[in-house]
Amino acid sequence: MIAGGVRVLNVGLPLIVDGVDPDAVVQLDWRPPAFGDADAARLMASLDTERTAEANDRAVTAMHAVRPQLTSIRPAREVVPGLAEGRLLLHAGPPIEVERMCGPMLGALMGAAVFEGWAADGDQARALLESGEIAVAPCHHHQAVGPMAGVVAPSMPVVVVEDGGRQAFASLNEGLGKVLRFGAYDDEVITRLRWMREVLGPVLDAALRRSGPIDITSLVAQALMMGDEGHNRNVAATSLFARRLGPAIAVEESGTEVLGFLAGNDHFMLNVSMAAAKLATDAAVGIADSTVVTAMSRNGVEFGLRVAGTGEQWFTAPVGPADGLFFPGYSIEDANPDLGDSAITETLGVGGFAMAASPAITQFVGGTPDDALATTRSMRRITVRPHPAYSIPSLNFTGTPSGIDVLKVLDTGVLPVINTGIAHRLAGIGQIGAGIVTAPPEVFQQAVRGLADRRSTV
Amino acid sequence: MSSADALSVRVFPRLYRDSVTLMALAASAQKADGVVRVGAVMATPANLAILAEAGMLPEGLAASPDDLIISVRATDETAADAALDVAEAGLSAQDAGTGERVEVLPQTLAEGLAVDATCTVAAVSTPGTYAPVVVEQALRRGLHVFCFSDNVSVADEVRLKRMAAERNLLLMGPDCGTAILDGTPLGFANAVRPGPIAMIAASGTGAQEVSCLLDAAGAGVSQIIGVGGRDLSEDVGGLTTNVALDLVLADPGTEVVVLVSKPASPAVADALLARLGSVGRPVVACLLGLEDSDGAVTVRGTLEGGAAAAASAVGLELATTSGTPEPPPATLSARGVVGLYTGGTLASEAKVILGRADVAAEILDLGDDKYTAGRPHPMIDPSARAEHVEAAGSRADVGLLLVDLVIGHGAAADPATPLADAVRAARAAAERDGRTLVVVGSVCGTAADPQGIDGQRAILREAGVLLFASNAAAVRYAVACASQPPGSQADRQEELS
Repeated sequence: MIAGGVRVLNVGLPLIVDGVDPDAVVQLDWRPPAFGDADAARLMASLDTERTAEANDRAVTAMHAVRPQLTSIRPAREVVPGLAEGRLLLHAGPPIEVERMCGPMLGALMGAAVFEGWAADGDQARALLESGEIAVAPCHHHQAVGPMAGVVAPSMPVVVVEDGGRQAFASLNEGLGKVLRFGAYDDEVITRLRWMREVLGPVLDAALRRSGPIDITSLVAQALMMGDEGHNRNVAATSLFARRLGPAIAVEESGTEVLGFLAGNDHFMLNVSMAAAKLATDAAVGIADSTVVTAMSRNGVEFGLRVAGTGEQWFTAPVGPADGLFFPGYSIEDANPDLGDSAITETLGVGGFAMAASPAITQFVGGTPDDALATTRSMRRITVRPHPAYSIPSLNFTGTPSGIDVLKVLDTGVLPVINTGIAHRLAGIGQIGAGIVTAPPEVFQQAVRGLADRRSTV
Repeated sequence: MSSADALSVRVFPRLYRDSVTLMALAASAQKADGVVRVGAVMATPANLAILAEAGMLPEGLAASPDDLIISVRATDETAADAALDVAEAGLSAQDAGTGERVEVLPQTLAEGLAVDATCTVAAVSTPGTYAPVVVEQALRRGLHVFCFSDNVSVADEVRLKRMAAERNLLLMGPDCGTAILDGTPLGFANAVRPGPIAMIAASGTGAQEVSCLLDAAGAGVSQIIGVGGRDLSEDVGGLTTNVALDLVLADPGTEVVVLVSKPASPAVADALLARLGSVGRPVVACLLGLEDSDGAVTVRGTLEGGAAAAASAVGLELATTSGTPEPPPATLSARGVVGLYTGGTLASEAKVILGRADVAAEILDLGDDKYTAGRPHPMIDPSARAEHVEAAGSRADVGLLLVDLVIGHGAAADPATPLADAVRAARAAAERDGRTLVVVGSVCGTAADPQGIDGQRAILREAGVLLFASNAAAVRYAVACASQPPGSQADRQEELS
């Protein structure tokens, strides 16, 4: 009577299948879904349709089809929409009022205002920011991303990645220590930013023009084979970048200086791969009915999530500090709540999702390569399918898990794992450690409500 | 800094470890007693600056970027050196990994199907709050559903059963206790022989009783499809019953169809009987409490009557005893008849038979929510009923106690023993008060059940329970006893001896 024979998926009490041949039973280790929010669970089930599956397939196909090319490095005001005129600064994360900003973000914005010459000092900058005479907006609203405070000012050089007529941008990485993205803005910081504007940007731009665009997907794929995971470890990618562009940089005036800077900054490529990830995930924005995540981002107060089917809407929840490993002299008490647009890398399928590629940093997830593998495998449970470009040896050359599905996160209760740097909560001290955070459950519970609202009004 | 006053540093020339490895090493060395802070870094200019900032870089230390430095600040030199030893040992830690991967058990329906895509039925026994979610997921993936969970709203039941019907899938339940699909038992079901009789049941123990009576008669079942107690209500309108009918009518192994339900909504019953009357094969509608009638559909108001009609459709007759001759009616020392049931439909059948005979009785379904509250069903945990049985022994107004015992898959491993113990205690209590408690019952089960019906019967008989071939027969006996003129203690003892 039952086509295919009676083979039972048992959701709950084992005694229900007491009399069934054990070979015909799959027992689930079922847990309440949606982090215990029964209403969100019901919406999750109602959205779990063929239509959603098709939309998610389209979304991930679109993301994977993007092949970001690093083409140039230009002043932000020339290329980033909205920065050509007026006084606008971009920051990381979902939107936030100046009054609610964390120390490092406010410090970075004050520093950027001084750097732009809009304010003589920090106090004046703060007054202009608080009065709204200097406007702020999320990078994500301007096709851009930035790590930590993520501040982009009009005269800063930004990397330009493009594919098929679309563009995405990111600031240039300043290195570790006292840097603007951790809220420092003393003379040392401003001087370095000026050098980056006057020397680093133009030299790299000229070198790029000389050598031709760089395919970032290939470069990141290669780096994953060399022990990077693409978020907290970028030494392989940065080395590949310097090697690729080295000959063209060397012939420029100040080329040696620039090469020296790259040699001293393991994370230079992070910003470039973030821009590339942004360009890829943006390809899925607005795909109706899709429940695939297109952005995860933190502003130091709140975590923000965007989903393909809800377009540019943010779902936000308070965020805490990352627990992790700290530099000598610091502890979790010093840590700022999680910050930065860099989780765009996990959104595409690298970073925490590629832990299995990076034996060197497995201490973040338990200490052994087996633990790293388990972390990557667990991300398979919440994603649509592997990224075809990012195949890694320890997964038998399967791609890294890619395309976070809100419905799967709710169904499994598995939260996206995000590798992250940890900023000191006071502006200007800088990075004090690195570790792992998971996205807060609330943003997924909100997202499914947003998706369901959208569905019912269509 | 702090009051700590010892700073010890070790330099390991030209030794490389990744910074994350070193941070983990430092974090573990820092846990030692007397240690204030540990830094472990490659001696790059940037890292040396961080150490200096933290007050952990001795003046004039010579180290190149290829060297590894461990710096410890502690309360005294001994503690600092001990921590350095621990950290140094960590630099050459041996592999303790087994290389084994821990398989993650599937947690969700989708993951279960990824493990085995050939699954066809989802059995759902989650808390009722989440049951509609899991059921919807299963239906959307094309699975039939056996939903044991209860506390599901009627609105959800209707919505999900419509969804199932559109997909031609069975949604058995919510609150479905029993099914046998193509010989595979789910929930509470007995090891009955295979045969040509299909049962569609809105009542779990009803289906168990009818199938066990048929089994004893030598007749087997092809299918038992539970539909949930509310399927034939006005609101639900027989949605699953109709899908089940489609399936059993297309089942080549089915010759006779038996419908089992507690009283149904008249409108739903009429529509169903109209459909059942034209299916072209024998149909028995066992609808508790209805008048028996013979038409296009054979209607019976008791489980036993339904079983007898179904057996007769395949040329067989029900067994009349449970293995011992039925005794003559006993004279009761008190008029009160109490039924303490674990099977809800068996309790309903008792009420029907007692009602037809106009005998007043107190019949409790101890599986009902109001008695189970927070405890397992008495078919799973027999102790719940045992308390009631013992209490009945102390009641001067009770002369006869009716019980059932349901065995089979899902039921307790040996439900007879706790019942027998409770019966002994109850009878002894009555005895002490100069009364006699007559205990009457039946065992719903088969010889092939895991508990074995013969052994379970023997245990009850030994405790003095008078056993009958069916619940209906036991109730009829109770009716006969209750209809006797009340007698003296001496009369009653004579009759029982």
